[in-house]
Amino acid sequence: MIITVEGLHKSFGKLEVLKGIDCEVAEGEVLCVIGPSGSGKSTFLRCLNFLESFKEGQVTIGGHNLTGAKTNLNAVRKDVGMVFQSFTLFPHMKVIDNIMLAPMKVGRVSRDDARARGMALLDKVGLTNKADVFPSTLSGGQMQRVAIARALAMEPTVMLFDEPTSALDPETVGDVLDVMKKLAQEGMTMVVVTHEMGFAREVADRVLFMDDGLIVEQGTPADIFDSPQQVRTQSFLKKVL
Amino acid sequence: MDFVQFLPPLLRGAGLTLVIVVAAGVLGSLIGIVLGTAKASPSWIARAISSIYVNFLRGVPILIILLFAYFALPLILPSLTFSRGFTAVMGLSVYAGAYIAEIVRGSIQAVPKGQSEAAEALGMHYFMRLRYVISPQAMKIAVPPGIGFLIALVKASSLVSVIGFVDLTRAGRIVTTINQQPLLTFLIVGALYFAISYPISLLGRWYERKLA
Repeated sequence: MIITVEGLHKSFGKLEVLKGIDCEVAEGEVLCVIGPSGSGKSTFLRCLNFLESFKEGQVTIGGHNLTGAKTNLNAVRKDVGMVFQSFTLFPHMKVIDNIMLAPMKVGRVSRDDARARGMALLDKVGLTNKADVFPSTLSGGQMQRVAIARALAMEPTVMLFDEPTSALDPETVGDVLDVMKKLAQEGMTMVVVTHEMGFAREVADRVLFMDDGLIVEQGTPADIFDSPQQVRTQSFLKKVL
Repeated sequence: MDFVQFLPPLLRGAGLTLVIVVAAGVLGSLIGIVLGTAKASPSWIARAISSIYVNFLRGVPILIILLFAYFALPLILPSLTFSRGFTAVMGLSVYAGAYIAEIVRGSIQAVPKGQSEAAEALGMHYFMRLRYVISPQAMKIAVPPGIGFLIALVKASSLVSVIGFVDLTRAGRIVTTINQQPLLTFLIVGALYFAISYPISLLGRWYERKLA
């Protein structure tokens, strides 16, 4: 298991957002997390690379125990890539520099190697012609694809996606999902919080339905979408499908 | 009385004002960048020390800082006697540092949180994030208020005249006691102050355009 989560609880002040999550993800598996807003899906995802800290529970990811005494969080994040809903590319740097920054400074890769890696990744996401422009000139879908390339540049073992297409125009959503599909086919372990049920059905190995801080139901896409067992799952799916 | 003979002392005063403003601007910026970054840092000690300095110095009039530095410090410790010029620059720098610190802190905190998170998610530690991602963006945000403060500093510098330093204001006052022409003299003094401040705002506009 590349990710194990045991008894994860997370509160913001008095508000308990995660009420005990247990989960496992195998290597190469694509896990999609769906559920209504406020269910804690993003918080759960952000706990996986400790962008959100937690005091109760245990998370082991890519061999790192997040709350272990000797764990270096920066080392964890080298192995865990994350793509955000709002792309958050660095606006003061060109696209290729955005991708090269972390490998050079964190990974100590040489400039030439970093550039070669960056161009290869831009090729993978279909944007080699945009290497030397600034992010402000790109569309949302293009920015997100660059963001995926930037996360992949650190050669992570796990990729986390936090509603990657929620802020995109419908026309560009497809381009980003295609890149994610390609990644999944190549065997990347992925945890994707998404509202794109079509993507989840097609690409996920397993789907998790979360509501109110707990995993209500989980199973294969067929299990969840075609024969949901729980009432809450059924009513949620009725609203979104 | 021929006014032209009074221009050299006024110009000399203007020159000295420019010198102390630049010196205080540079020193104040160094102090301000260090303290402002400290105030925005995750370390509570850094924040606390910086807050004490900033809050204290922003709560006291610059005039009091200058008078204290020149008249009171030597009474505390005789070795703390400095020349008027040195005291002027020191007082203005310490004052500027407090205000610039707040500008720097605000600029750092104005950079969208997502930027810091994205850098953090890539494995960058705090100082790396600050250096490559946050600071370049914060600097752009800091320029308008920073320029505004520098212009205010030019005007605040006129207070050094009370400790006897012969800046543009004091030069103007000395000249009027001799030529009894306050209208013309202070018009010229005002024009000279404008000649010093206006290029600063132009510099700001140029710098903003360059960063865009």
